[in-house]
Amino acid sequence: MIAADFAGGMRASDSHEVSQLNELKIDVGALTFTAHYVLAGDIIMCEQMPIYGGYAGGLEETTIVDVATHLNAFVMAQATWHLDGPIHVRWGITTAREPLAVAGHCARAIEANAPHLMLGNQYYTIAGPCTLMCLLETAAQAITDTASGREVLSGVAAAKGVATNKTTGLEARFMGEVAHAAAGMPLDKVNEILDSLVAKYEKSYKTFPEGKSFEECYDTVRVVPTDEYLEVYDEAVKVMRELGVSYKYW
Amino acid sequence: MALAQKVTVFEAFNRAKSGPKVAEDTWDNEIIPKTASRLKEKYGIKMDKKVMIPTDPVLVSNLFKAGMEMLVECGVYCMDTGRVIKYSEEEVWASVAAAPRSCVIGEGREARLLTARSYQDGRPPLIQGGPTGAPCSEAMFLPIHESYAKEAIVDTIVDGVMQTINGYDPTPNSPWEIAAVKQEAYQVRLAQARAGRTGMGL
Repeated sequence: MIAADFAGGMRASDSHEVSQLNELKIDVGALTFTAHYVLAGDIIMCEQMPIYGGYAGGLEETTIVDVATHLNAFVMAQATWHLDGPIHVRWGITTAREPLAVAGHCARAIEANAPHLMLGNQYYTIAGPCTLMCLLETAAQAITDTASGREVLSGVAAAKGVATNKTTGLEARFMGEVAHAAAGMPLDKVNEILDSLVAKYEKSYKTFPEGKSFEECYDTVRVVPTDEYLEVYDEAVKVMRELGVSYKYW
Repeated sequence: MALAQKVTVFEAFNRAKSGPKVAEDTWDNEIIPKTASRLKEKYGIKMDKKVMIPTDPVLVSNLFKAGMEMLVECGVYCMDTGRVIKYSEEEVWASVAAAPRSCVIGEGREARLLTARSYQDGRPPLIQGGPTGAPCSEAMFLPIHESYAKEAIVDTIVDGVMQTINGYDPTPNSPWEIAAVKQEAYQVRLAQARAGRTGMGL
């Protein structure tokens, strides 16, 4: 949004977002403000979230469309980097098995053929903050994105990104720590870990924990997490260690 | 033979006004699903959803070929003009070749170098922390964003959406939307400064 570009607001060195639409669609408004980004010399982040089970169809078809969408970011929007976000049509999340497979396959396909392109992925969990499930969902995607060669991890929109104040800094910290732990891990081991990790939460989509709001997760004046959330965090760390994922400062 | 040129957003707009006319319903329900399905068959693509990241180089190669063909064959549909923006494969490759190799997000001590990494890379990706477009109340917008900026592992911020501005609904294409967008940017900068991270990217 051009309105954010002002002294004290967004700078050229910030990521300026333009969104493609589902699937392989655009509107003139997006092209118009992209022109501003291009001429202003801004970093351009072109975003799109292909829908698994949507217009494209199943797993393979959605991945094919996702590859096309990645390429289009660098053609139509003159992107600096592309922000992916394959999403499950039924659950509205990026952390289910199928969206993870779409993202993992797409990133590998792009890197193998155009290794200089810079790619990211965004995070939408079904469970809310202060729950083990939210952190495990986050971990599964962080491992997938890191081990498939993505450059930026962007999140976490917990509780599907639709509930007010249901996001906190701790989910992003966990995303980061797991990513740092997974960097350089062999793919065979990664795929085994991911299969086990996703199995821990994928049967709970119908009964997912809604979690707590920011006000319930943090002291909002000092901006520090509650002891309750830190205990949940420790529990998630323990699960990850048992799976063979260990961040150097855990 | 003319040398292939990269496509620009200006050229994309020109093609959005002059490309072939297609009904949106035909695009969504026929062109996209039928082309994707045909390319899946053409390249014999089969994925196993127990394997999140492929190890088979043939599968990886075929996915790329199918994706490239999808983009070149279909193009991109412009909803406002009802026309298709088409590219040649040479133009796609020229645009890919011209894409940035790196950039610096943020400034000063908080600047972060974004550069390509491999799936085997021991170097971690950049961590962009934030609500990722999730709604934040006007009252909690600042501390929520400060909670991300305080985490040292977070390299740059992705912001949330302010649900109201001065108590008003920031309806799209209204003056309140502009006010909300500016206030979001101000408050993210303030959150970064309160965390001692002036210069951090957004």
